[in-house]
Amino acid sequence: MSDLDKAIAQLRACRPIPEAQVRELCHKARELLIEEGNVVTVTAPVTICGDIHGQFHDLMELFRVGGDVPDTNYLFMGDFVDRGFYSLESFLLLLCLKVRYPDRMTLIRGNHESRQITTVYGFYDECLRKYGSANVWRYCCDVFDYLALGAIVLGASNTMSPNPDSSETESDQDVEIEVCNADGQIMTQFSRQPRGRGGRGRSPNGAATSAISNGIGPAVPGGPMNSGPPGSGASGYSGGSVGNPAGAVLCVHGGLSPLIDTVDKIRLLDRKQEVPHEGAMCDLLWSDPDEIDGWGLSPRGAGFLFGADIVRVFNHRNDLSLIARAHQLVMEGFKEMFSASIVTVWSAPNYCYRCGNVAALLELSEDDSGLGIFARSNGDVGRSDGNGGNGPRGVLMENDPSEPKSGPARRYRVFQAAPQDSRGMPAKKPVADYFL
Amino acid sequence: MEPPAPPGPSAAQTTPATAFPKLEILPKSSFASHHFLRPAKRINDGPDVAHFLTSEAYRDIGVFVLQLNHALVPRNKTPSSTTAPQISAAGRAAAAASTQFFPLNAPRRDPQAVLRLRELLDRVEGIIDEAPPDPGPRRFGNVSFRRWHEMLEARAEELLSEFLPEEVVQGFGQERGDEAGPLDELKAYFLGGFGSSQRLDYGTGHELSFLAFLGCLWKLGGFVEGEEDGERVNGEIERSIVLGVIEPYLKVIRRLILTYTLEPAGSHGVWGLDDHAFLPYVFGSAQLARPITDPEPTPLEGSAPGAPRPGDVVKADAVTRHREANMYFSAIGFINDVKKGPFWEHSPILFDVSGIKNGWGKINKGMIKMFNAEVLSKFPVVQHFTFGSLFSWDADPDAAAPITSVHMANQPVAAAATAAAAAKTSSGTGAGVGTAAPWAQATRMPGGPALSGGPGVPYSQGPWSGGGSAGPSMPRGGPPDTGPAPPTEFPKGVPGRASNQFTVTKAPWAKD
Repeated sequence: MSDLDKAIAQLRACRPIPEAQVRELCHKARELLIEEGNVVTVTAPVTICGDIHGQFHDLMELFRVGGDVPDTNYLFMGDFVDRGFYSLESFLLLLCLKVRYPDRMTLIRGNHESRQITTVYGFYDECLRKYGSANVWRYCCDVFDYLALGAIVLGASNTMSPNPDSSETESDQDVEIEVCNADGQIMTQFSRQPRGRGGRGRSPNGAATSAISNGIGPAVPGGPMNSGPPGSGASGYSGGSVGNPAGAVLCVHGGLSPLIDTVDKIRLLDRKQEVPHEGAMCDLLWSDPDEIDGWGLSPRGAGFLFGADIVRVFNHRNDLSLIARAHQLVMEGFKEMFSASIVTVWSAPNYCYRCGNVAALLELSEDDSGLGIFARSNGDVGRSDGNGGNGPRGVLMENDPSEPKSGPARRYRVFQAAPQDSRGMPAKKPVADYFL
Repeated sequence: MEPPAPPGPSAAQTTPATAFPKLEILPKSSFASHHFLRPAKRINDGPDVAHFLTSEAYRDIGVFVLQLNHALVPRNKTPSSTTAPQISAAGRAAAAASTQFFPLNAPRRDPQAVLRLRELLDRVEGIIDEAPPDPGPRRFGNVSFRRWHEMLEARAEELLSEFLPEEVVQGFGQERGDEAGPLDELKAYFLGGFGSSQRLDYGTGHELSFLAFLGCLWKLGGFVEGEEDGERVNGEIERSIVLGVIEPYLKVIRRLILTYTLEPAGSHGVWGLDDHAFLPYVFGSAQLARPITDPEPTPLEGSAPGAPRPGDVVKADAVTRHREANMYFSAIGFINDVKKGPFWEHSPILFDVSGIKNGWGKINKGMIKMFNAEVLSKFPVVQHFTFGSLFSWDADPDAAAPITSVHMANQPVAAAATAAAAAKTSSGTGAGVGTAAPWAQATRMPGGPALSGGPGVPYSQGPWSGGGSAGPSMPRGGPPDTGPAPPTEFPKGVPGRASNQFTVTKAPWAKD
């Protein structure tokens, strides 16, 4: 067993690794990350995760629900640290896995992966407490500077992959969104619908049309499944002329920036620095979508608020079908907005031990039917007929560039906080100086 | 402001009796010439905190906290025939049998002013029913809190006029025309005590504002108004203020937090003392400290006989048992109400404090130091404090000069600050009240060399860097390269971490 595998085993047991090992790990990680572009290209299938915030046991639960590394290809959208008790163990484990399985683990930077934020929101305190010095905090912060700012997922399928945990053996080609519980049981499905000029898609998660009754698994609590998928995706006007039925998906921690109109502009940034207080890099990590027109001031004091129109134009210009982002607590674990042109994924259940929210991860399946090539062609070249008659009918029918298109098939796995009974009580540590 | 006693290591010692310092009550005769001011924000930048720490306001807040704190300490019932506070072992044993506690749930003779303040708090709480939480899809903080806060603002003058002593509100009959009067000062601190409607959060800065509201009322004679001279024993009014106003205030706050899911302002996540509150830990620990005989100063260690043990705070059933009587347990009871998960994990600081061996007196002393460092000395927290005539920005002539390198270690620096200054002041800055990021209000982050020193968190610096249990498989890290000096005594101020805030991270450099 290599040292790295030993470190992984130790961290999986929620035990920090020695400082010297952290240093070495961070060094290796930096060598690896420096080679990555600001926007990493990831090929489906991929499982996209949101904020973790040091909730180590919940991260373990996430791996249980989403599959272990390297069996599952993961993309984490930042905010690994701060607030929780185990930022250190969580981040170091993810980093170890990144170094061990670079192609199966993508980490992008969140606004908490910053020196200044971590000194306020807990990670600095945690490192001091666990190591007695700030060295480990410094090593980690040096890695933060090298994390990518975003990722582009290519090759996601329009059709839902078969759910191995479901007793339904045949995947319904019309399913656009599937919500599963932690045991893989399907809670809800939403079929793809012709994009009409329907509602603007403000419906919250759970209030959805055309849920497919499957009789499997419990229904989403409190959610009458009769008015459109979470946030409107399947039934709504899809937020503009998204070109590709299963076009690329942009993953970024916060959101868009008024200074960034193309993904290529993200690639031009000099990212290897502390997160600035303003500017494009800051915005990507701090902004939030909101029910406004255009751009708005963010109550956070950093980044901006951006409305549906901004997302529509950006997605169209960049041939994106979806933006996946994290950064905001959503009680249901995920929330699609603006006619499913953007989704928030949140992966820290019962955030801060008290918010009572569930967490989610987003699975995009691989397009193994050749459809993806067809889909991404967007009518330009080589329309493959490889899909035969098997493609999603609705999608084919609406594959007219003038019509808004929906994004890739999306499977959300929703999970709750890990059970706590297995966590023993540690010895009390010496108290802060105030009490000496 | 004077510390309760010299902070010697042998804390059991007590100093010769002197009258315990109290916040001065303005003589009525001085009202005519007193110039009230509409309280204004003065702390706009990290270095302003240094001035604050030498201001009259800072002195008065400290005096008031220590005065209230002292009054909560249990007393020996047996009247001491001498004023000598030296307590022999035999004396201690005797005291054990006759300790007078000041629990929340024992009958008190609250002064009229305190009874009226409780009615006021009832009315404030009642506004909740008029602004039910928005049921729609939402982020964590509920937007209906804004409506609640608007209503409070709209009614504040009327409410204060109704429930505060008329003479106080009227400024004892002085015609002031357009000039500010006492109500202007009272209202500012009162409104500041109920969270931020913009940020939908609540934190220790708001708690501090409410304390200042009570301090104003004290200074204006609002608590003695209508009381007969000599009717009350020493400290009785102070106890009524804490047990009869501050705890009911905290209950209103807890209901606001639950109703509108207010975010903690400035959260360190699990690494802060408490998401929202600080004062109940100060006063609650005083309630259980070693009993004293007036005019003995506040004890620096030891617990009252029969008091629950510090370790009991981690036991849910013990917390349930004591939360109705003790403010510390009451605060922890609220944590237990709202948090799921192991106590040691979601509240590691309180967990560690529960292991303190030297009793509630020791905890009390630490809490006061920590309050000074994490609340009063924190730019993100005190930046919102306003200054008028009663809590004045004027320099306290007796204040010791702050030790800049220590004091300012955690404060943001203005754009004008030189790199050298930035380096000197170190890197970390606290969160703004309301989850701001650390460089809030700083136009540039403290950079470069400053970071090599690490942010100025006095916490966790030394104690376990050397000896102690660093965890079985963990290497023992060396001491931090640099680090701030350990906290000094209360009146001097030290850096520390901002107290708390959470769910939404706001940019530290945000101006509001």
